[in-house]
Amino acid sequence: MPLQLAKFLKKMTVDVVVGRSSFQAEAADRGKFSEDFIEKSAVVYMKEDFAKINGFKEGDIVKLTRKGKSINLRVAIADFAPNEGIFIPNSIYASYLSDFDSFKRFKASLEPADGDVTKPEEIIQKMLK
Amino acid sequence: MAFAFKVVNRERQIEECTPLFEEDRYKKQREELLKLLEPLKKATETGLIVNEEKCVGCANCIVVCPVHVAEDPKGAGIGRGPTIENPILRLENGVVKVVNMHLCRRYGKNRILCVACRENCPSDAISFLEG
Amino acid sequence: MFTCPGCSCLCDDIVVGTENGKISIKNACRRGAGIFLNYNTSRTKPKVNGKETDFDKALEKAQELIQESKNLAIYGLDTITLEAQKIAIKLAEKKEAFIDDNSSFCLGDFVEMILRGELPTATFDDVRDYAYVIVYWGVDPYHSLSRHLSRFSYYPRGKKRQRGYEEDRFLVVIDVRKTHTAMLCKKNAKFFEVQDDIELINAFNQVLDGKVPSIFTRDIPRVIKEMEKSDFNVIFGGLGLKYGLKGNYDLFKEFMRKFNTKTNVYFIPAGCHPNMRGFNELMFEKTGNVNKYSFRDGKSSEDFAFYNLLKNDSIDTALIIGTDPLNSLPFEYAKKLAKINTIVVDPRMSFTSKIASVVLPSAISGVEAGGTMVRSDGVKVELKPVFEREINDEFILKRLLEVV
Repeated sequence: MPLQLAKFLKKMTVDVVVGRSSFQAEAADRGKFSEDFIEKSAVVYMKEDFAKINGFKEGDIVKLTRKGKSINLRVAIADFAPNEGIFIPNSIYASYLSDFDSFKRFKASLEPADGDVTKPEEIIQKMLK
Repeated sequence: MAFAFKVVNRERQIEECTPLFEEDRYKKQREELLKLLEPLKKATETGLIVNEEKCVGCANCIVVCPVHVAEDPKGAGIGRGPTIENPILRLENGVVKVVNMHLCRRYGKNRILCVACRENCPSDAISFLEG
Repeated sequence: MFTCPGCSCLCDDIVVGTENGKISIKNACRRGAGIFLNYNTSRTKPKVNGKETDFDKALEKAQELIQESKNLAIYGLDTITLEAQKIAIKLAEKKEAFIDDNSSFCLGDFVEMILRGELPTATFDDVRDYAYVIVYWGVDPYHSLSRHLSRFSYYPRGKKRQRGYEEDRFLVVIDVRKTHTAMLCKKNAKFFEVQDDIELINAFNQVLDGKVPSIFTRDIPRVIKEMEKSDFNVIFGGLGLKYGLKGNYDLFKEFMRKFNTKTNVYFIPAGCHPNMRGFNELMFEKTGNVNKYSFRDGKSSEDFAFYNLLKNDSIDTALIIGTDPLNSLPFEYAKKLAKINTIVVDPRMSFTSKIASVVLPSAISGVEAGGTMVRSDGVKVELKPVFEREINDEFILKRLLEVV
């Protein structure tokens, strides 16, 4: 049994892949200000092995940070995630962190977090500053 | 064992085992058995179960179905929504629903264990009782 | 039967039932059915500076902002009909404004190459009837174009493809991860897990030149051999391919040209906006360019892409139609919308409507408004409304055009 050192590390750099989710698109059409939309959008999908090795499990809250901007998302285990990295659906959350050089794929830092997932309103508030 | 097989195949009902239901000493086994047999309720007589929560409505199962191809060559056979009145499967409100399992090759005395629909469902939304 | 406006498949076999005030939908995928079933949820209300008002007042304010603007940009447009797009283009022309759609960061470049004849293309009917090797490159249609494989490519029988996917089709999926679509690559199929699309193209080119490829030494020759078995193969290219190429379209064009010396390989863009192709074709016909256009300068340029107009503070007013840039554009660009006059025309509440100067509620195309859209293969499809609504995109745009 390999020593799971990563459990003791606070922060790691991950490859983030952004893509479509039919469930998330359905939730967006139903209402972008609903709990359903947040549940389907504020999520990082990772493979089971990746999660285990890095000390994450389904339902954990994590902080994803890139270029000084951070959001809190919930972990979900899925086999369609990249082998080494995470998948997040297209939405305001992905758009908050990406830019056109790295629109569908970028590197970000991932660490455990406290509290709840970021709400879209919090991101919109930052725009008004 | 013969009785157990017949219960799974829906040829007999578990309630026919009267000692299981009438005698108190089998209460625990009865409860566990009823729990085990719960999925049978959702399955059709062909043993097909659709997990709607996983279904995105891709309709692969509908178009790949060999019965649909034979019976509805100008509809489901060429990728369109079924034009026959009672197809085996159809997209209803965005997810696949079993409409008429009598047409399915898995149904009836001369059944074939066809798995075309399950094999082409990327999210394993379709499963069969026998595994 | 009705047409679903959910994505660029524009499925026209949708059966809508209305009984006792309840809707039921047959033949649409989850996303498409949701558009019909939830048509009354999360609807926009007319607003001026965040306060609800009546439609006429909101329209008046929008007209005022358009009239007074010195540098107007019209953006979005990919979820509205051709008829409405034409009015928007006319408005931009009369106002000497900028006009751009989502294709400037989606697949506009590929559509332009197709319209210029630089990439060979085909229709979905051709693919269904003739295609053997079907490649999905940088797209996961299971989620973005749910019925794509069952309606048009891998699964339906066709004129020359009577025997079904196990004998008459060969599926290739190219992606950075094993998507749901890639999970279908079992028999008679191949999934390429690829981190560098340019490296993959170079490897394909090596085999086409008769050399051993640097990667996938068995699989690339196998796929090419399969393609050579048939005279009709197709590549559906999505955003993964676009961003993987990093602007190197000449490399891709040369690769396609080389491939086509061996066998026929067609290209069809696989983007999800229902009428992106429609806007691109209208603009191409009028200006020779598909997007990023300035009617003042009489040309298209990267500088005129909507996100760059925002970045460079080049506009004072934005008319956003049927899209939600706060949801889809990177934050550093989208945040600029809060600093200028923003008019949002949308049937549903969007993030952008939260910061807009004016919000004008519109009709949902295909549910409440009819018209024409163009599928991603270039075929026109008619939409008709289930519940017609008087105030729709055409109505609003005509009223805005009045003041210019």
